[in-house]
Amino acid sequence: MNSSALIHAVIDGVLTGSVYALMATGLTLIFGVMDIINVAQGIFVILGAYLSYALSVHWGIDPFVGLVITIPTLFLVGIVVERAFIGRLKGPEKTAMSILVTYAISLVIEGSLNMIFSVNYVQISASYVNKTFRIFGVYFAYIYVYGFIMAAILLVALYVMLYRTRFGASIRASLADQTAAALVGIDVKRVSTICFGIGIAVTAAGGMVFGATNAFNASTSYDLISRLLVIIVLGGMGSLGGALLAGILMVTLEDIVGVVWSPVWSIIAFYIVLVIVLSIRPQGLFGKQSARVA
Amino acid sequence: MLKKKVNLLWLVALAIALFVPNIITNPAYRQIAVITLIFTACATSWNMFSGYSGYVALGSAAFYGTGAYTMALLSLHLHVHAGGDMFWLVPVGGLAAMLMAIPIGLIALRVRRHTFVVITIAIFFVFQLAAINFGFTGGTGGLTLPYIPWMIQSYHVPFYYVALTMLVFAIALSASVRRSRFGLQLLAIRDDEDRALGLGVKVFPVKLTGFAMSAFTIGMGGALYAMMQGQIYPQFVFDPIFDISIALMAFFGGFGTLLGPILGGLVLESSQQYLTVTYSNGSLYLILFGVLFLLVVLFMPQGIVVFIRDWWAKRQDRLAAANEAVGAQGGNS
Amino acid sequence: MKRKGKLFRACGVTSVAAATVMMMATASGASSSGSIAKGAPVKIGISLSLSGDFSADGLAYQQGYKLWAADVNASGGLLGHKVVLDITSDASSPTQVVTNYQKLISVDHDNLTFGPFSTLLTLPAAQTVNRYGYAMIEGAGGGPSVFQAGLKNVFDVTLPVAYDLKPFATWLTSLPASTRPKTISYVTSNDPFTQPVVQEAQKLIGKSVKTVYNKVFPAEATDYTSIADAVAAAKAQVVVLGSVDVPTVSAFMQAFEQAHYTPKAFIATAGPDQGASFIKAVGAGNADGMMVPNSWYGGSKNAASRKMVAEYVKKYGGTAAGVNADIAEAYSVGQVMAQAVTATKGFSNTAIIKYLHSGATLSSVQGSVKFDALGENTAQTAYTFQWQGAKFVEVNPVSDPGAVKVLFPKPAWGK
Repeated sequence: MNSSALIHAVIDGVLTGSVYALMATGLTLIFGVMDIINVAQGIFVILGAYLSYALSVHWGIDPFVGLVITIPTLFLVGIVVERAFIGRLKGPEKTAMSILVTYAISLVIEGSLNMIFSVNYVQISASYVNKTFRIFGVYFAYIYVYGFIMAAILLVALYVMLYRTRFGASIRASLADQTAAALVGIDVKRVSTICFGIGIAVTAAGGMVFGATNAFNASTSYDLISRLLVIIVLGGMGSLGGALLAGILMVTLEDIVGVVWSPVWSIIAFYIVLVIVLSIRPQGLFGKQSARVA
Repeated sequence: MLKKKVNLLWLVALAIALFVPNIITNPAYRQIAVITLIFTACATSWNMFSGYSGYVALGSAAFYGTGAYTMALLSLHLHVHAGGDMFWLVPVGGLAAMLMAIPIGLIALRVRRHTFVVITIAIFFVFQLAAINFGFTGGTGGLTLPYIPWMIQSYHVPFYYVALTMLVFAIALSASVRRSRFGLQLLAIRDDEDRALGLGVKVFPVKLTGFAMSAFTIGMGGALYAMMQGQIYPQFVFDPIFDISIALMAFFGGFGTLLGPILGGLVLESSQQYLTVTYSNGSLYLILFGVLFLLVVLFMPQGIVVFIRDWWAKRQDRLAAANEAVGAQGGNS
Repeated sequence: MKRKGKLFRACGVTSVAAATVMMMATASGASSSGSIAKGAPVKIGISLSLSGDFSADGLAYQQGYKLWAADVNASGGLLGHKVVLDITSDASSPTQVVTNYQKLISVDHDNLTFGPFSTLLTLPAAQTVNRYGYAMIEGAGGGPSVFQAGLKNVFDVTLPVAYDLKPFATWLTSLPASTRPKTISYVTSNDPFTQPVVQEAQKLIGKSVKTVYNKVFPAEATDYTSIADAVAAAKAQVVVLGSVDVPTVSAFMQAFEQAHYTPKAFIATAGPDQGASFIKAVGAGNADGMMVPNSWYGGSKNAASRKMVAEYVKKYGGTAAGVNADIAEAYSVGQVMAQAVTATKGFSNTAIIKYLHSGATLSSVQGSVKFDALGENTAQTAYTFQWQGAKFVEVNPVSDPGAVKVLFPKPAWGK
């Protein structure tokens, strides 16, 4: 173990972590506004990756340029799914039912992707995927840097939309209290639909970077969703800043433990942090709900 | 009189269940029957906490896996004779799961119920990872239990009766909890936790007790499964599909009702196993299963028990109304 | 009203219980008598992973089994009986695999059984068919746990995985000191299939090449970048990677390329043997010099193998080099069963098990087959293969007439 490997691990962790943070932000936004736990988020990431893959293989469209097509496509998919299924859920068991419904949706998408693309692993390629530059005596791949820049731009755009626009204000109102938001005349239903669309749309971008840095098939989604859920729990469910911080923290911590100690313990180390945080702060790092201790 | 009739029907159901191994003699279907009973018992037990309290736990596979590993490790290290003696380890597996439920509950039950769902999933992944990475669990290679040298013709019969006992136990426990003061407290938490707290219900201990009690049967289920299967792997006894399956059974039948999970478990698990065995085509199967699943959740969100009961009640009302109308006409003429 | 509800509930339980019983009440299970009526087909039950984690291999196995069945039927079947394959999917689940074999034997009354894919599923499958007294001939259950279970009915036609890296170790340690690499990294996934292989290689290579990195990584990792970066930082001249699939190898290759690190020799336990799907994932330019141990490859000189490869290419397209080794493993299972049936003049599983334990030497597209007491095939030779140009060629054992010279040192990435 040397210090350059450690620096490498930290920078890699921040770069890759930002992409996970982007995907987790979509998940936590959906939960915060709608009380919906979208376990199909993992398969939507893979769907986004496959879209970028198909565009680059069949039409030679660069994956980053292709985002112009894939992000709106997944936004629409999100709107349709919300209108057709998610929006129909109501009652006290809505959150639990949402897990079942989104799980069913992910099964349908997984089966369809298997039929269209087969189960063989694929990876998105572009001329610059393996190009690197040197800094601090270690090499960094451009793809991670591009991925980081993209995630940063999208996250900033999301924040600007939330904090500088009227629509953003209504989302924030719904995040804070749905009933109160409805009382002041916000169309919570419309806000929900659009939020779901946004939450799904970010997976197009996250999926593209994931697909360019990892070989994948439809069943890769199971590993993804478990990581995304854990990220939003640590960050505090419904907290956008929490998802961002927890995403970066998770991947960086894993990378550091992998280098310093052993890769076997890298994920465990993260879970240990999670359990410690939850036993002190049950609502996660930035969760808004106060704990209920009887 | 009616009450007697109800008890009689339960007895008839039990009597039929007792004779199942004599009717189903084919080992493949006996296997399905045993697995169905195990899942139904787990779903009933899950519903006893999650259904009554409204705290939907999606990490129950942590208890199932704990039971399975307890069975495997104890039978290997205590050199238990490969055979009927291993059944004594089934309740031990349940106890181990119950012990695990206490620290989990201490962490997870302190949050709002929506967050609780996700925390249970996260804790479940901790268990799965631990089983994969610790040395004593055999890592990804899992553990091979002592080989039970029973002939296939009668192999499943003892498992069937133990699983049936487990199910009867789970139903009896769930029914008596429902009738008890403790059960009323759970239901009060489901309706409005803050109000229950205001009324003096010791909310946290009640939730923790319910959570640990429900872990017991689920742990026994895992232990029995491990014994019958003969080989366990971390990713298949700590299986997220298990979590989803038992929750689906309860929702399918009727969340929070006594009969719902029983009905859901018997119908879903047996038909799913049967369909996979009979018509297996990977991708198409996933799509069909997903679509079926969506239809049930969207069109019978309260579960079939409530759905049919409402339909039955409406029909009775209509009949009564019609009779009345006929009666009124008769009176007029 | 309330009481009515209760009555309804109990009715429900009763009717469901009754319906379940009715649905499942079918004829009792049969045991294998060993004789099949004249003109009736011989049915072979197989559970394969047509979805889930092992689906890529499961589908390849299906092709291999089908290819064998078509060939046998073209030449008159087994002892005059047409071969019918009864394939069900286990979705890569060990619970399902057990149910499936019980169903194949006791409901479908299949006469013989072939193995599923992977060590993970083979063990519960073999235990299950053992209760019926059936032989479990398989090609993908080579992990030590399968043989340590003490089952008498399991026969793996493929060389046990622990032997896989022997020719590579021999080649490496016999290089003259002037050219022999000085440092080596071992990195493996904690999988029952790869760990024994890498440990065995480490024992064989021993101190003749200095170990600079030796770590195990979790099998369920999705992101290998940090592990691969750590291996790259160790800068060993040789890398031995215990991988189970294409994505693992491709992730390491990509990270190495990004770190500008090219080991002089790079061998992975699985991935580069996947033919076209490997090339598709890593790109043709990067494959050059990648090594993999295996007992078979598409360019094998074995006459039966060449015939099989030609048929495969004709039926499914592609090139000989692109044929997955799973195809040959599955095909060999069929061949061994055919020889056992011919030798025992019947379909009695008891006779077949006894015959396969007798020490007879059989043949397959993968080479000779001879089972020891545990059911391992020790007669087969292990080979090392390497991608050279766009070709997948045999390079070890060096003494083998079919072997070409190892491409050493490995060319830089992307060249």
